[in-house]
Amino acid sequence: MLHERLIDALGADAVKTAPEDLAVYSFDAYTAGRPPAAVVLPRTTHEVSAVVRIARDCGEPIVPRGAGTGLCGGAVPVAGGLVISFARMNRVLEFDPVRRRARVQPGLVNLDLSTHVAPSGLFYAPDPSSQKVSTIGGNIATNAGGPHCLSYGTTINHVLGLEVVDERGEVFYTTIDDAGYDLTAALVGSEGTLGIVTSAWVRLMRAPEAVRVWLATFPDVDAASDAVSAIIAAGMVPTALEMMDRVAAQAVEAAFHAGYPTDCGAVLLIETAGYDDDMDACESELARIVRERGALSWRAARSQAERDALWAGRKGAAGAMGRISPNYYLQDVCVRRSTLPKALHAVEQIAHTYGLTVANVFHAGDGNLHPMLCYDRRDARAVQAVIESGNEILRAAIELGGTVSGEHGIGFEKRDAMTAVYSTADLAAMARVRDVFDPARALNPEKIFPSGASCPEVKAPSA
Amino acid sequence: MTIEELAATLGEAQRERTPLTIVGGNTLRGMGRPGAPDARVLSTRALAEVIEDAPADLTIAVQGGMSLRALAQRLGAHGTQIPFDAPFAGEATVGGTLAAGWLGPRRHLYGRPRDFVIGSTIALADGSIARAGGMVVKNVSGYDMSRLYVGSFGTLGVLARVNLKTIAAPERTRLFTMRLPEYTRTRAIAALATMRIVPAAVLWVEGFKQQIDGEDGAEGRLLAFVECSDAMLERATRELRSALGRAGVPETRVVDAGAREAFERVLDAYVANVGERSITYRIGGFPDEAEATALEALALAQRFELRSDTLLDAMNGDVILRVSDLDARALGAKIEMFDDALHDLRPQAIVVAGEHPSRALLQVWGAPPDALARMRALKERFDPHGILNPGRFVGGL
Ligand SMILES: Cc1cc2nc3c(=O)[nH]c(=O)nc-3n(C[C@H](O)[C@H](O)[C@H](O)COP(=O)(O)OP(=O)(O)OC[C@H]3O[C@@H](n4cnc5c(N)ncnc54)[C@H](O)[C@@H]3O)c2cc1C
Repeated sequence: MLHERLIDALGADAVKTAPEDLAVYSFDAYTAGRPPAAVVLPRTTHEVSAVVRIARDCGEPIVPRGAGTGLCGGAVPVAGGLVISFARMNRVLEFDPVRRRARVQPGLVNLDLSTHVAPSGLFYAPDPSSQKVSTIGGNIATNAGGPHCLSYGTTINHVLGLEVVDERGEVFYTTIDDAGYDLTAALVGSEGTLGIVTSAWVRLMRAPEAVRVWLATFPDVDAASDAVSAIIAAGMVPTALEMMDRVAAQAVEAAFHAGYPTDCGAVLLIETAGYDDDMDACESELARIVRERGALSWRAARSQAERDALWAGRKGAAGAMGRISPNYYLQDVCVRRSTLPKALHAVEQIAHTYGLTVANVFHAGDGNLHPMLCYDRRDARAVQAVIESGNEILRAAIELGGTVSGEHGIGFEKRDAMTAVYSTADLAAMARVRDVFDPARALNPEKIFPSGASCPEVKAPSA
Repeated sequence: MTIEELAATLGEAQRERTPLTIVGGNTLRGMGRPGAPDARVLSTRALAEVIEDAPADLTIAVQGGMSLRALAQRLGAHGTQIPFDAPFAGEATVGGTLAAGWLGPRRHLYGRPRDFVIGSTIALADGSIARAGGMVVKNVSGYDMSRLYVGSFGTLGVLARVNLKTIAAPERTRLFTMRLPEYTRTRAIAALATMRIVPAAVLWVEGFKQQIDGEDGAEGRLLAFVECSDAMLERATRELRSALGRAGVPETRVVDAGAREAFERVLDAYVANVGERSITYRIGGFPDEAEATALEALALAQRFELRSDTLLDAMNGDVILRVSDLDARALGAKIEMFDDALHDLRPQAIVVAGEHPSRALLQVWGAPPDALARMRALKERFDPHGILNPGRFVGGL
C-alpha cells in the first residue's frame, strides 16, 4: 500500500524498497538504526509534499536525509518510517551576484555552492569539514559550523529564507525580514523536527582581498590552548583558529603530507582574511601572543598551494584517523574560550583514566572541542570505555559552563544529555514550538527531546 | 526586581487575565500599534544589572532592562562593542531593542543584533522561566529559542536576561560628509556601496535638518562612516575620496573627533518625531532598489502635499521616510490614504515612529507574513490568554 502509493506519486525509480537499499539508509556517520519502510528520492517540492501526505495517511514518520554525514544519529530512522533523501534536489535554483544571494535546493553539496559562485568573486561561508559531501539542507538542519565560522558565524547567520514542507505536506515560506516571529531562526538547527526544508535563500560573501595562514607549534596542548585563549582575550578574531594535537597531526601527515609538523605537542592553524594593509599588523600581534605563550615555532604559509594543502589536511583529519585506529568516536562539546586549557586537560585525564588514545583536531577559537577517542569495535571493553569517557567529557564540559554540542547537534545520540543542561521548563519552551509545527511527532521522531530517561547517558557509537 | 519577581508578575497577570504592555526604555513606543488602553504597564528598567562580564571570552550576560549606553560603556572599558545601532541608546534597553527586532545601518558589516545573542532567560506568561543557549559562542542543543524571542515584540515572553557575544571595537571611526550636487546621487551612492573597503555605514539624507549634521546639496547629502584599523585609515580615505570624485562629488568634509556622536545622532533620527504631526516608515529592501524606493516614496509624499525627511541606508537597502504636516489635524486628514498608497507601492513598509493618534489605523507592520497562521499558533502556545502586549504586534500576535 505504502510502496504502491509512493511509486504512483514519484515513479518507480524514485522509491527504494529492497532490503539492501534500505539498509544503506539506516546509518549516518554516527550510528545505525532500523531500516526504514521505504526511501524516496523526490525531485521537486511538490513531490516532497505528496510523500508527506502519503506517509501521514499510512501512519509512517518521516526522516529527512541529506548526505548522512551527521554525527549524532540525526538522519537515522530510529523509529522506522520513510526516509526522504534529497540527493536529486541538488540544484542552484537562482543566483543573484549583485544581491549576493542564491536560492538552492537542500540536496546541494555545500562545496558545490561555493564552486558555483566563485567566478563572481563570492563564496558561501559556512564550511563544515564535511563540505565536500554534506548538503546545504543537512547544514541548515544542524546549524552546521566549520573552521571559518569563527568570524563568519555558523549556518544560521547565512540563511535568508526557507521554503518548508510541513508535517501535513503543506508548503510555507519564511524570511528573516518577515514581519512577525523569526521562524527561520527556529527552523535552522531544528534537525528536521519542525519541517522539511525544500529550498533555501542563502547569503553569499565577497571573497576577501587578502588571506594569510600561519602555523604555530607548541610543546603541548596546554600551551597551545593557552595561546588560543590569549588571542581571543586580546579581542582578535581570526577567520579560523584550529588546533591539532600530536596524534592528530601524525595521522594527517601520514594521509595527506599536508605540511604539519609532527614533532611537537600541538599545532595551531591560524587564518586571517581581510584587507592587505591589516595583515602585517595582524601577523606581528599574533606572533607576539603565541611566542609569549611558549610557541616553539611560527611560520607563514608561503603560497596558495601550501595554504590549500594545510586546509585539505585539516578538513580531512577525521578521515585520516583510519591511519592510526580502526575506529574512533568523535565527541563534540563547546566550552567558554577562557576555559579551553582546563577543558583539554580534562579530556586528556579522562582518556588517560580509561586507557584510550585521544586525538584532538578542533575549532579552538570557538572553544569547540572535538576529541576523537580511538578504539577497536571488536574489543567490547574498549567500546565500553569509549562510551563512558564520552559521557565524562560531556559532564566535564557542562561543569565548565559549556554545552553538549557545539555544532553536530543532538539528534538521537545526545537527546538524554539535554536534561543535563536544560531544566524541564527550558525544554518545555522548546516543546511548545514542536507542538505547533509537528503536533503528531511525525517529523524525525525520537530526536533532540529526551527519551524520558533521567540520567544523561550517551548511546553507544556503532559506526 | 529580580527575574523571579518578573516571572511571578507575569504569572499573576495571566491568572487575573490582566493585559500587560511591556516597556523598556520606551524609545520605540512608535513601533507597532498602541498598547491596549486597559493594559498595565510593566517596565523592565529595574532589571539593569550586568550578570556576568567575561571579557576574556568576548561574552557578557546582562539583564534585559539595561540601557544600551550602560552596556556600551561597560564594553568600551574592554575595548569591545556590540553594534545594536538602535536610537536613543541612553534610554533604549537591550531587551527592548532585541524584542523589537531593531535593525541598524552597520548590520551588513557586523551582523544583526540577533546574531550576537548566544543565550537568554525569558519570563513566560504562565510565570515560568525558561533558559536557552548558554555562554558559549557555538551551541546546537535544541531549538534556537533565543533568536526566536528576538523580534517577537514582547508577545511570547519578556527577555529578562541575554547572553551576548562581543567584538573588538574598531581602532578608528571616521565620518565623511558631503553635499550632493545635481546628478551625483545615483553614482555616489553606488560608488560607496560597492567599494572594495566596506564602509560601516553609508547614508543618503534629505531633510532631518534638526537631527543630522550637514547641509543638503541639490540632491541631498551623504554621510559615510568608516570603521577600521589605524593601518587602514589612509587607504580607506583615499579610496573613498576617489570613488566620490569619479561620481562627481568634489568636496568631502572629514570628521574624526565626534564621529561616533554624529553616528548616534543619525540613529536617533530614525525615530525622531516632530510631535503628533509625523509618522516615520521604514521600508526594507535591497540596496540596488533603495534609491528608486526612496524617490517613489518621496514623490508620493509630495503628491499628498506632505513634508518629508528621508534617510537611505545604502549598504542594507533600508529607506526611512518621515512624513509630516503642519499639525496633527492636517496629517490626520491624509495619513490613512497615504499609508494605503505607500503600501501599494511597497507592501513591506512598517511604521517605526509616530505619536499621531491615527497610527492605530495604519498598516504599521506592512504586509502579513506567509506563515502568519503558524505564528498565531505559536502565540497561542506561549500566551494563550493574550496578556502580553495585546494588539500591538503583527496580525494580532
Ligand atoms: C568527516 C566529518 C567532518 C565533519 N565536520 C563538521 C564540521 O566541521 N562542522 C559541522 O558542523 N559538522 C561537521 N560534521 C557533521 C555533519 O557533516 C554536519 O552535521 C552536516 O551538516 C550534515 O549534513 P548532511 O547533509 O550529511 O545531513 P544528514 O546527516 O543527512 O542529516 C543531518 C540532519 O539534518 C536533517 N536534514 C537533512 N536534510 C534536511 C532537510 N532538507 N530538511 C530538514 N531536515 C533535514 C536530518 O534529518 C538530520 O537530522 C562532520 C562530519 C564528518 C563525517
